[in-house]
Amino acid sequence: MTTLLEVRGLSVAFRDHAEERQLLSDIDFSLGKGEILGLVGESGSGKSLLCRTIVGLMPSSKLHLDAGSVRLDDEEIARLPEAGMLRIRGKKIGMIFQNPTSHLDPVMRIGDQIVEGLRFHRGLGRTEALEEARSILGQVGFPDPARGLKSYAHEFSGGMRQRAMIAIALACDPEILIADEPTTALDVTIQAQILKLLMDLRAMRGLSIILITHDLGVVAQTCDRIAVMRHGRIVEQGEKRQLLANPQAAYTRELIASHPSLPDEEHRPLEHERSHVRPIFEVDDLDVAFPIGGGLFRKRRDFRALKRVSLQIFPGETVGIVGESGSGKSTLARAMLGLTPISAGHATFDGSVLTLEREATLKRLRSEAAMVFQDPFNALNPRFTIGETIAEVLRTQGETPPERIRERVGELLDMVGLERNFAGRKPRSMSGGQCQRAGIARALAVNPRVIIADECVAALDVTIQAQIIDLFRHLAETTGLTLVFIAHDLAIVRNLCERVIVMHHGQIVEEGQCDEIFRSPREDYTAALIAAIPDIDPDRPIGGTAVPAELQPA
Amino acid sequence: MIRRSALSLAPTWPRYISRRPMLAVGAGILAFFVLIAIFAPIVAPFDPILQDPKARLQPPSFAHPFGTDNFGRDVLSRVIWGARIDLQIALIGVLFPFLIGTVIGTVAGFFGKTIDTVFMRIVDIILAFPFLVLMLSIITILGPGLSSFYIAMALVGWISYARLIRAQILVLKTQDFSVAAESLGFSRSRIMFRHLLPNALAGSLVFVMSDAVLVLLNGAAISYLGLGVQPPTAEWGVMVAEAQGFITQAWWITLFPGLAIVTLAFGFSLLGDAMGDLLGVHE
Repeated sequence: MTTLLEVRGLSVAFRDHAEERQLLSDIDFSLGKGEILGLVGESGSGKSLLCRTIVGLMPSSKLHLDAGSVRLDDEEIARLPEAGMLRIRGKKIGMIFQNPTSHLDPVMRIGDQIVEGLRFHRGLGRTEALEEARSILGQVGFPDPARGLKSYAHEFSGGMRQRAMIAIALACDPEILIADEPTTALDVTIQAQILKLLMDLRAMRGLSIILITHDLGVVAQTCDRIAVMRHGRIVEQGEKRQLLANPQAAYTRELIASHPSLPDEEHRPLEHERSHVRPIFEVDDLDVAFPIGGGLFRKRRDFRALKRVSLQIFPGETVGIVGESGSGKSTLARAMLGLTPISAGHATFDGSVLTLEREATLKRLRSEAAMVFQDPFNALNPRFTIGETIAEVLRTQGETPPERIRERVGELLDMVGLERNFAGRKPRSMSGGQCQRAGIARALAVNPRVIIADECVAALDVTIQAQIIDLFRHLAETTGLTLVFIAHDLAIVRNLCERVIVMHHGQIVEEGQCDEIFRSPREDYTAALIAAIPDIDPDRPIGGTAVPAELQPA
Repeated sequence: MIRRSALSLAPTWPRYISRRPMLAVGAGILAFFVLIAIFAPIVAPFDPILQDPKARLQPPSFAHPFGTDNFGRDVLSRVIWGARIDLQIALIGVLFPFLIGTVIGTVAGFFGKTIDTVFMRIVDIILAFPFLVLMLSIITILGPGLSSFYIAMALVGWISYARLIRAQILVLKTQDFSVAAESLGFSRSRIMFRHLLPNALAGSLVFVMSDAVLVLLNGAAISYLGLGVQPPTAEWGVMVAEAQGFITQAWWITLFPGLAIVTLAFGFSLLGDAMGDLLGVHE
């Protein structure tokens, strides 16, 4: 395989009058023709910065390229002047990003955005360029390329926008495509489609791809080689099978062990007997509708977020609710807690019917159930210290005598594995994982019988995810807490929960014991969801369907 | 548990100020005027309303650094005593609109629906009239004087604060920490005033500073029209108004009170900008 891109000893530092920080140190790697290289690491490890440095797009003037070389086709491009880089960017190296919405021009038709690149870099005439743009849109999987050309970004779903961005990047026929977390914002099934598209493009065009991701599962199934980054260094790189089977660096081993797709044999979820117990939550034919549109002259319409949902949750159970974005998972959780008005049906909490005796049930819910949120920073009041946040809950609940509050705050911090001095800190001085622990401590301050966790690990790095999951598992085992765990990540649910409820378009499509559902899903939708989970096993094809032999890396 | 005020400026703030010239200059100007207002009886060389027919319209000299006016009163002393009135106008003229607007904005934003509609329509109605015309009619009905000015300010000025705060509350109340507070059983007033309001306040605190400038100029304008501070009380706006007949022969009578207004307004603006940076409003 001929080497296309070679990076040697690359170092980048942040420097201003006050401080100096080394952001990338001594990066060495190479990319062969037609190769897919996976760049894995947690947030802040320098993956994106590395790729921006390669194309000369450093995000700040305070960043300095101190040493190293970047050779593209045996031409040194590391210190090329701006005019020279224009020839490289787009033409030789194309880029796609995590959030297609903010990287597509909202007021320009998709077709024009592709044509722009074709005319600038390839010098095509208008009609030729349009013809070429249509064929590219077809290649990236637009069902009706002619219509796609005339559409604007907002007319498409997230997955289609990502395809459009890939089309724009491909328009200039680059040799290298840098994909920066291209599927992080997408649902699993869409993620699988986009990854397959990237692999198909590699096979069709001989494209070399650098795939940046935090998910080891994504790279395991798509890449040829993997480079693991941490703190601005490549800690380990190598052929993927070898690296996954026999990791050398301790950090790589930790990353692999944290990956949720590995079934965790020692921690099988507890099984509970529940023959004659009263369910703690019971929901019957629940409907939740939100008014959309409507105004003086327009008829008001309703969007039905939940349609005739029925479920039961028993004390001590750990239940997972899974589904893609927009499936109504969060709405269901909020409706059960009385935080969203119910349009029809009944929700019962431990014998009190929310829809009949609203005030009394709410009072019980507020002191017996608590919620943990997705975005740990957003869920804590930024102006309160963690101690104040927890103390306020204790005071409102009124069960802890005032002189014991300080002590109790300390105990709660102990329970979630935070040092007691975190009581004096504010959320902005803490990491995402620490904030999430504080959020859990606040939920526990209620002394709840049930905790509903809404996508509470989705915003965290994998190793932190694993820690938070362990914390929940520990709490469920030691305190008999009932846990309702909402997630789009089925792999996490499989590890943590004993029962799983699958939602789609506001309805429950399937529910049952976790083991059974994952082993033999009854519904096609569930099967598709399960198949789309990125797996750390490199031989498992993406999206469940086998990758044709000719697309397999040689 | 140490309770800190909503805006903890942290213990490093003397160093913080020294690194920010805008904040230092703004705060310096304001402090200067506050000091001369407090110590007016000591620092003013003459009685501000004492007339001296023998010393009419004297240009600036060693005895009268800012000159004398058409009644022979010392302009410097009048400017110094005027600081008392004008600072009071800026303070009270901003305080009541701020308090009223903040409460109304919070309540309207938090409860939404009918309450919100009612308050926002009132805002629209007030906005439909030119500000000064509305002020003048209210003051005319109540009778000229400073207290009428304050009442008129409170009745009209709250709308800006209400709109600012309401917009912030609307955003904040959908955030997770607000939902969390509700799910933890906190009372509505606690959620509104202890959780949402402190997070919504930054923008309007910055606006307070630029509003102080407007109120100061309004007060001067109203006094200039003879509906605010009444002569012979020393107030910068009144001084400018009284001296306009002499502007061709005795420029110093209008110049110095005018300069005082501009300088104080400049100080407030600098302080407002600096506070904006400090509270991260411009981000």
